Amino acid sequence: MRRRKGENLLTYFGMVGPGLSVFLFIVAYPIVYSVWLSFTDFNPNRGGAWNLVGLLQYKTMVIDPNFWHSLSNNMIVVAVSVFGQIPIGFVLAYILYRKMVKAQFFFQSMVFLPQFLSTIVIGILWKRLFQADGPIARLIQIVSGDPGAQFDLMLKADTVMYPIGFALIWMYTGFYMVIFLANLQKIDTEMLEAAQIDGATEPQIFVRLILPLLSGTVLVSTILAIAGSLRGFDLIFALTTQGLQRNNAMVLSIFMYQTAFQDFNNPSRFAYGSAISNAIVVISVGLIMMSNRIGKLLNADEEY
Amino acid sequence: MRLTKTVAIVAALLAAAGTAFAAGQKEGAAQAPAKVVVKAMAYGDNSNQEGVNWVRIVDSFEKENPAIDIDYEMLYDEAYHQKVAARLAAGDVPHFAYFGADARWGAPWKEAGQQFDHKALMDPSYYDMGLVPPMGPKGEIWEIPLGTSNITTVLYVNEALVKSLGFQAPKTYADLVKMVPAAKAKGLDVITIDGADGWAWGSCFMSSIIARVSGDPAWVSKAVAGTYKFTDKAFVDALATIPQMLKDGVLSEKAVLVDYGANISAFSNQKALCMIQGQWAAGGIEPAVAENTLMMAFPALPNEKAATAGSVAAAIQVGYGITQAGAKDPAVRDAALKFIKYFYSHAETTQRLMDGAIVAPILKNFTVPADLPTINKRKVALAQSAKSTDVIDAFLGGAANDALNAGMQKIASGASTPAEVAAEVEKLLRK
Repeated sequence: MRRRKGENLLTYFGMVGPGLSVFLFIVAYPIVYSVWLSFTDFNPNRGGAWNLVGLLQYKTMVIDPNFWHSLSNNMIVVAVSVFGQIPIGFVLAYILYRKMVKAQFFFQSMVFLPQFLSTIVIGILWKRLFQADGPIARLIQIVSGDPGAQFDLMLKADTVMYPIGFALIWMYTGFYMVIFLANLQKIDTEMLEAAQIDGATEPQIFVRLILPLLSGTVLVSTILAIAGSLRGFDLIFALTTQGLQRNNAMVLSIFMYQTAFQDFNNPSRFAYGSAISNAIVVISVGLIMMSNRIGKLLNADEEY
Repeated sequence: MRLTKTVAIVAALLAAAGTAFAAGQKEGAAQAPAKVVVKAMAYGDNSNQEGVNWVRIVDSFEKENPAIDIDYEMLYDEAYHQKVAARLAAGDVPHFAYFGADARWGAPWKEAGQQFDHKALMDPSYYDMGLVPPMGPKGEIWEIPLGTSNITTVLYVNEALVKSLGFQAPKTYADLVKMVPAAKAKGLDVITIDGADGWAWGSCFMSSIIARVSGDPAWVSKAVAGTYKFTDKAFVDALATIPQMLKDGVLSEKAVLVDYGANISAFSNQKALCMIQGQWAAGGIEPAVAENTLMMAFPALPNEKAATAGSVAAAIQVGYGITQAGAKDPAVRDAALKFIKYFYSHAETTQRLMDGAIVAPILKNFTVPADLPTINKRKVALAQSAKSTDVIDAFLGGAANDALNAGMQKIASGASTPAEVAAEVEKLLRK
């Protein structure tokens, strides 16, 4: 009996061991290392010496105006994702699902197309559209009749997030549309037909039937959008040019990158960068917990 | 039972195959000596001349030297700098790489303690040691520069276009101002600069202006060392050149939206009379336009000092060098040096000169080709005649340099004043 138990334990570890090892080394170790690093002044390029500095990196972070500027830009990105991409994606999915347009497959493919493109390619594409005398500037020149008119929203700190938000919606809306479409297709059509027979209008079907049924999907999409928005780096990095544009559009991940990998005047820049990345994780978890709480309050359970 | 038999047969076959394979390997190993693998970080990409030439040179070197394997990673522009920082931090140090000796190209290698003095290993019969400047405090040579000084502040002038408007190449700033109405009437810019790139304002423009206005060719290095302050009148006045040029119409208001590619393209497509960029941009100009292009120092400013009149900013040229990691193993070090010498051969250096990638070579007994493109001859003439001054980002790094570059863009877009930007740079530098 005891031998049998031992064999079971061996089998158990044989099964779990490989996956657990991969998880510990690839996921858990970097997280623990990053947390440890943020409480030190360790710089791997300067030998092995390090000191525990307590909360110094976090204190430096909260008094750094770049942190608050980046966080505020991140919140704009989160807002664009949650209140832009998700509702637009939902409405587009509903239009396709209810066959309100012809050539549904074409529209579905077109909206989803950016998902097939590299983020860097998309960033460069939008950068070219926004540049001096670029296509958008030309359009403004034709409409305004001013040959010198330029698209200068990318230059100003208070307007730079508008074009970026537009590019973000263009890129990610298709992703949420497909998620909603897949979930819409799971809904029992007899229920919708019954509602129609009972005299429900299309907006009533959407608001009173579809929306409550997909509240769980909305919640999951919101969590995905928040997590993606806070760690988003590539699109904004590729879309902006090094210097004023990127500084104006700086989000936490770019701030972390510029601190850790470019600020050679700061000897503990890797530790400071770790503190910033840990802050990203903490803020993400906080926002996701808040979404979950709101979801529960709104009774976001799916029953088809 | 049948299954056990099958397993046994398969195992026997595998064992036999393994033994035969191992024997074959042993035989092969006895015949060919083990390869020396040299890890390299190269600069370029598949769409530019630097990258294409690198791949070609590595291929031909490896054919001629089958015992050496150049295991390289090639990246360009920001991606290169990112990867350098990441690889050094991870301890994955290449044996040799493309780097420099200044705050931009040398800082990560210096911090990681990977700079290696090449002086004793450089063949003085091959390299002209008089053309290789000292890079360290004790005269160390951290890398073998691809060429002589790297002029970063060049005013490219489309002479034919300027003449077509009834003007001559500008000698003073006032000459540029005079061109504004005629250029505007034709829908042209007087000067184009890639003002969307923060570094262009510092490296290609302000580096020259601060030396001119202060009269000290080493103003930047002295300011970083603490002799001067960035809030000094000289620097604030130098920064004030930017709004003045915008006010006079010499620089277009859209300048701050133009990136590197668009800048070269505007000049090549004759949409601007002049262009501000470094010497390396000469190779990117359309050959027909390049033939009529002058390369000169920025014209005389009204408030410039005689001591630095007509000067250009120039830095030590970047190049390939061995790291401390590469110098540890003599076999690897010698293989890397052999490749670098091959890479710097007369034929390849001539090609670089023809492509406009360098100003002048550092090789001994080098014969300048007679058919050198006109623009490259002009580049050499500029390097020989103009006085050199400090390049800002060769001395100023990190957050202070970023604030200066972004600050000049803010000045150009009317979002900040020269005094505010100067104060920010000074604060960040002394932090």
